[in-house]
Amino acid sequence: MSTSYPTRKNPKTIILAIVVVATIAVASFAILTWPRPSLKVYTYDSFMLWGDNPETIDETVFGQFEIEHGIDVEIIRLPTDANGIVSRLVAESENPQADVVIGIDNILILQEAAKSVLTPYSSPNVDLIDEEVVDALDPDHYLIPFDLGLVSIIYETNFINSTSHPTIENLTLSNLATEEFATSLVTENPHQSSPGLAFLLSQITIAEKILETDWTDWWDIVKDDINVQAGWTEAWTIWHDSSERNMLVSYGTDPAYSSYYSGEAPDIAVAPFHYNDNDYSWMQIEGIGLVKNGPNQALAKQFIDYCLTAQVQQYIALNQWMFPANPNIELDDAFQYALHPEEVNLLNTLMPSSEIAANLTQWLDDWDLIMA
Amino acid sequence: MDRRDVVRYAIVGIPFAILIVFIVYPVISVIIRGLLSQPSVNLLEVINSPITQRTLIFTISQASVSTFLTIIIGLPGAFLIARIKFRGRWLVRAAIVVPFVLPPIAVVVGFIQMFGPYGFVDSIAMTILGTNQSVLNFAYGIIGILLAHVFYNIPLVILMVSSSLERLNPDLEDSAESLGASKIQKLRHIIFPHIRSSLFASGILVFLFCFMSFPIVLALGERGIMTVEVQIWNAFRNFDYGEASALVLLQIIITMALAISYIYLNRGATDSSGETRSIRRIGLSDLELKEKILGSIYLILILILIAGPILALGRASIFDPTTGTYTLRGFENLLELGQGGGLIPLINSLYYGGLATILAIVLGIPLAYAHQQRGKTMPTLSSIMTLLPLGISSITIAYGLMLMIAVPLGLSFNPWPIIIIAQTIIGLPFTVRSIEISLQKIDQNILDQAESLGASRLQKLFFVELPLLAPGILVGGVFAFAMAIGEMSATLFIALPQNITLSVLIYQQLGVRKFVEAGAAAVILVTLCFIAFLIIERISEDSTGGML
Repeated sequence: MSTSYPTRKNPKTIILAIVVVATIAVASFAILTWPRPSLKVYTYDSFMLWGDNPETIDETVFGQFEIEHGIDVEIIRLPTDANGIVSRLVAESENPQADVVIGIDNILILQEAAKSVLTPYSSPNVDLIDEEVVDALDPDHYLIPFDLGLVSIIYETNFINSTSHPTIENLTLSNLATEEFATSLVTENPHQSSPGLAFLLSQITIAEKILETDWTDWWDIVKDDINVQAGWTEAWTIWHDSSERNMLVSYGTDPAYSSYYSGEAPDIAVAPFHYNDNDYSWMQIEGIGLVKNGPNQALAKQFIDYCLTAQVQQYIALNQWMFPANPNIELDDAFQYALHPEEVNLLNTLMPSSEIAANLTQWLDDWDLIMA
Repeated sequence: MDRRDVVRYAIVGIPFAILIVFIVYPVISVIIRGLLSQPSVNLLEVINSPITQRTLIFTISQASVSTFLTIIIGLPGAFLIARIKFRGRWLVRAAIVVPFVLPPIAVVVGFIQMFGPYGFVDSIAMTILGTNQSVLNFAYGIIGILLAHVFYNIPLVILMVSSSLERLNPDLEDSAESLGASKIQKLRHIIFPHIRSSLFASGILVFLFCFMSFPIVLALGERGIMTVEVQIWNAFRNFDYGEASALVLLQIIITMALAISYIYLNRGATDSSGETRSIRRIGLSDLELKEKILGSIYLILILILIAGPILALGRASIFDPTTGTYTLRGFENLLELGQGGGLIPLINSLYYGGLATILAIVLGIPLAYAHQQRGKTMPTLSSIMTLLPLGISSITIAYGLMLMIAVPLGLSFNPWPIIIIAQTIIGLPFTVRSIEISLQKIDQNILDQAESLGASRLQKLFFVELPLLAPGILVGGVFAFAMAIGEMSATLFIALPQNITLSVLIYQQLGVRKFVEAGAAAVILVTLCFIAFLIIERISEDSTGGML
């Protein structure tokens, strides 16, 4: 009886073959993805992607700088928001990789952690920007303004307008707290969303500085009626899809965006807060800053200078839907529907930065406890 | 100690060392740094603060309710799968695993489409009531979180309990019946004691997963509802490293207690349930009318809850809600390079997932052997080491890997090896467990025979042990792959734009309201997982449920 067994190859050959194949695969991937020398700019995920040509926007805006200085500019949109960018910079602080960061705003910069990863830089081009805005962001120039926007309540005019709801023209915290408005409002969690945080600070500023009351009372009244979503996108989706939720904490440029893409007058309007015959709104200023101990400091400074000029600033309005920090830029016609900074009193000026820095954590904790 | 002992210790020692370097060291460093950070933090103060107390109470109560619901809804399914004869069982079995390995972010998309305002269920209710206003919203808030947790974890209960039921010796039931036991008596005195340990083991696992729940709570929770994990994330976001450390410690204490009780329960379970020579099953036609009706109602419920969100994903991938038209744009996007295109993330997902699978198997085999060692210290130690990733917040692991490994090595700007490591760690507990199950079944005599016939250690391993282990390795590999391609939290923190995976892409596209593109990417993920599980159901004769 003869049974023929299959001959076995030496296992060492098989191991060797697997190791060789795996090594080649890993090595080729490593070579393909090896970082090239470049100026690296950290920013958040949707930076300048709201325009007509998001695919080519980086080249349009920063191509000139690349040619002048013979270096690639890499706009690195981290899959996160500004808080996440600072977290990453803190984690990388012993061996920084980025040169410039865009997107840290006037609330986030009050945190020690944000300042700890930046080096102040007083760009010669800072003169191109209003001194008031520069100081409102950061008088020490850890950050210089890149763009700005007004965080306001927007509403759908098909459902709410001055005929059906006259109080929308003179919006106060107390008429926003009426059941009719409160059940119509969608906002964002202040822990997770910068417009949500700006809205909380607006409310605290009005309550404490204009009305001189305890800010928590208002949230006690509205907590069961308003809808708080995790982020702006979630909130926008609810607001857009639902015919019951017609007011949203968003930006004063939203009507302009809507008009620009629909080609018609917008069906969205902005309702700033109204007290003592004045409109009030919170200004969010997003800054550009030099990463502390970044690899290409000199070039990074020139890049910051460049970003303040019209060559970059002219693209902000239609790609970022914020106002350019440089006030000499002409805006698209659609911006006639936006709420402009000069039309309102800024709530930021009523609330000293030092007070925000000292109390922010406590305020957020208090908010959590009220909303639970 | 002779040379063989040295080799054996080295083989077990290497994965231990790797786990220590990539989990224990980064996490402990992050905790210590946080506790030493300024302003100094008082551990008790954090734990006693009203916010933490509330978070803790919410975390534990939602996990308890989720676990209870999952078991109640899952048990009938386990009985149906174990006891009813029908065609395509293997298909159903493969399908049942799918929810468990779906990336949370894909679940969120499906859930909103199915149960959200103006979603599928809501549209039906609106039609019935003749209104054009949304009437039902089960996707957001506490109800949404509970439903999503049931969706996610029901495979655990169904598969673990049904595989235990299949090991119940039919002779026992026959004897009980011939002695005149009623159905209730049979259930109480024979079936329940038999499945008790699998029920508790699955319950603990479900509780553990719900306790650690992060993306679901983040996406579906409203008004600042938080689990401990979400509060840790918030603390990291606010650069409050002291609070984060205190919370991570608190979390580890609780999850380790759960993990240890799981290990002990499981040890009891594996001893008693050997394979039986036959499995008691009845055909569909043998059911009474009442049982048929109840069964049908249950199936419809399960279809809505489990299949619904997955099918809704399919629809979301081709239906554009803003224009109300059908489109293939989402799938075309997956073939596009460049900003927002899906091709690079698809390649990344496959490449990282593939390497993570290989790594998980290479690490998993020696760890599974360590579980089998005699004595108590070694198995307990290696069990705890492999369960660590389930009990430590993935955000903390990611932050630790970034801070302690990637940055000092200069890898933070080319971090794909770190992403692969993070993804390997996440799936490792499942890989080790499935290999361990196969290992238990190897007959020591066969190995002895090979040895006496003169096989070298390497030959024995390659030509005898590994082929016998192959089904377990395959199942483990598929789990590793599925967990790796679904992983989001750690990847999100570590990745640069060129490193994003499909899961991260979905998250980003939801952020800019590209529902079709997000849906298409999610469908690809689901399909990849489903195909993988179809293959293992076909190849391995054993059920995947036994491995958990």
